[in-house]
Amino acid sequence: MEWTPIWLSLKLAAITTLILLAIGIPIAYWLSRKSSLFKIIAEAILTMPLVLPPSVLGFYLLLSFSPNSPVGRWLLEYFNLSLVFSFEGLVVASVIYSLPFMISPVKSALAHLPPSLAEASYTMGKSRLTTFYRVLLPNIKSSLWTATVLTFAHTLGEFGVVLMIGGKLEGITKVASIAIYDAVDNNQYNEANQYSLVLFAITFVIVILVFIFNRNASRGPLE
Amino acid sequence: MLKKLIVLLIVSFTSCGVFAQAVRVAVAANAQFVVKKLALEFKKKTGIAVEVISGSSGKLAAQIQNGAPYAIFLSADMAFAETVFKAGYGLALPKVYAVGSLIVCSSTGADVKSWKSLISNQEPGKIAIANPKLAPYGKAAEQALKKLKLYENAQTRLVFGESISQVNTYVLKGAANIGFTTESLVYELPPGASFKWQRVESALYAPIKQGAVLLKYAKSKNYTNNKRFFDYLFSAEAKAIFKQYGYNTT
Repeated sequence: MEWTPIWLSLKLAAITTLILLAIGIPIAYWLSRKSSLFKIIAEAILTMPLVLPPSVLGFYLLLSFSPNSPVGRWLLEYFNLSLVFSFEGLVVASVIYSLPFMISPVKSALAHLPPSLAEASYTMGKSRLTTFYRVLLPNIKSSLWTATVLTFAHTLGEFGVVLMIGGKLEGITKVASIAIYDAVDNNQYNEANQYSLVLFAITFVIVILVFIFNRNASRGPLE
Repeated sequence: MLKKLIVLLIVSFTSCGVFAQAVRVAVAANAQFVVKKLALEFKKKTGIAVEVISGSSGKLAAQIQNGAPYAIFLSADMAFAETVFKAGYGLALPKVYAVGSLIVCSSTGADVKSWKSLISNQEPGKIAIANPKLAPYGKAAEQALKKLKLYENAQTRLVFGESISQVNTYVLKGAANIGFTTESLVYELPPGASFKWQRVESALYAPIKQGAVLLKYAKSKNYTNNKRFFDYLFSAEAKAIFKQYGYNTT
């Protein structure tokens, strides 16, 4: 068994989680405030990756990132960036795919905070940004952990999208879930078994962590 | 704590290894075993590494036409190789590198010597073939069944593998009672498989001429290495290895 695919999966999950922390938290904050029809539609779109079959997402990403499409050609010409059959492409796909796992728990936690918390801070003359970082975020710590850990785990488990746009390249797009599929295809059942056990162990630890973070909260871990 | 985690993550992913690029060969699933063997021999001789990516011919052809970075395409037929060439992704016309042989096989103890009566008698159990639209061995199996007028009989029990590899898995794990696959599987069985097989008469299906194309991508990096492996596929030594795996060469 080679460790490269496992390492690649962990790397992909880590980068995806970082990017989603950066963009997901502001989006969640925006969604958690006064709702409007536009926000409801936006939230629905951001939640779609949760329910869409990965093949749908993969198919559309393949079409739009392919060098035959205007978007793909533009990226290639101006940035020399190809999002099909490349690690960068997997990152972009995973960010879209795991988006709801970051946004939903954070949004729901922010929406449940009593408004008086932020109001007290504003009364004392703190800016909105300071209030957000020093008052709101520390109060939803366990949800932040849950969102981070679930995003990481969900990206580790990604398969369909990667299969559609990855192309099974060694050390670039052949992540652990693909390596398992490939090993089965090659009649290497022992190898498939080893990869599967490693993934099983990693994800089991992750899920345990989620439950530990939430042990004091009365909410279920997916909220 | 979250901050520490972020720092840890940044450190961990910036320290990743960079891979030297090997000759990337996209291989139809049926030929993956023989091509892996060829890659091994080639590496021994020249020190040049070859990376084998396998899938159904149709899927690989689609990937190539969407810009997949493969240097060589080894299709399971001529049609997909020609499609890729005509779409402008090949450097030269496809060449036949091997002629495949279709077998019927089982690991559930089914009597494959009399596979025709197994099917016509409606024996229970699934019959696995590769997707005829994507995999030439699936198409050959379909042709053979139709020629023998057994297709109607088989239809309700047919299961379709995404590529010949999936058919192999279905058969080897006993999920399907019998399956139609490539003869090369016989020479690369996993240890401990109880396996029976029988060649399908070649008159029952159109010859499975497998086409190789040197792709345009080969020019972008290490062209000499890519070309060297492509030429090696047609050498006397490679032909002997193809024979060992049940292929004919021209």
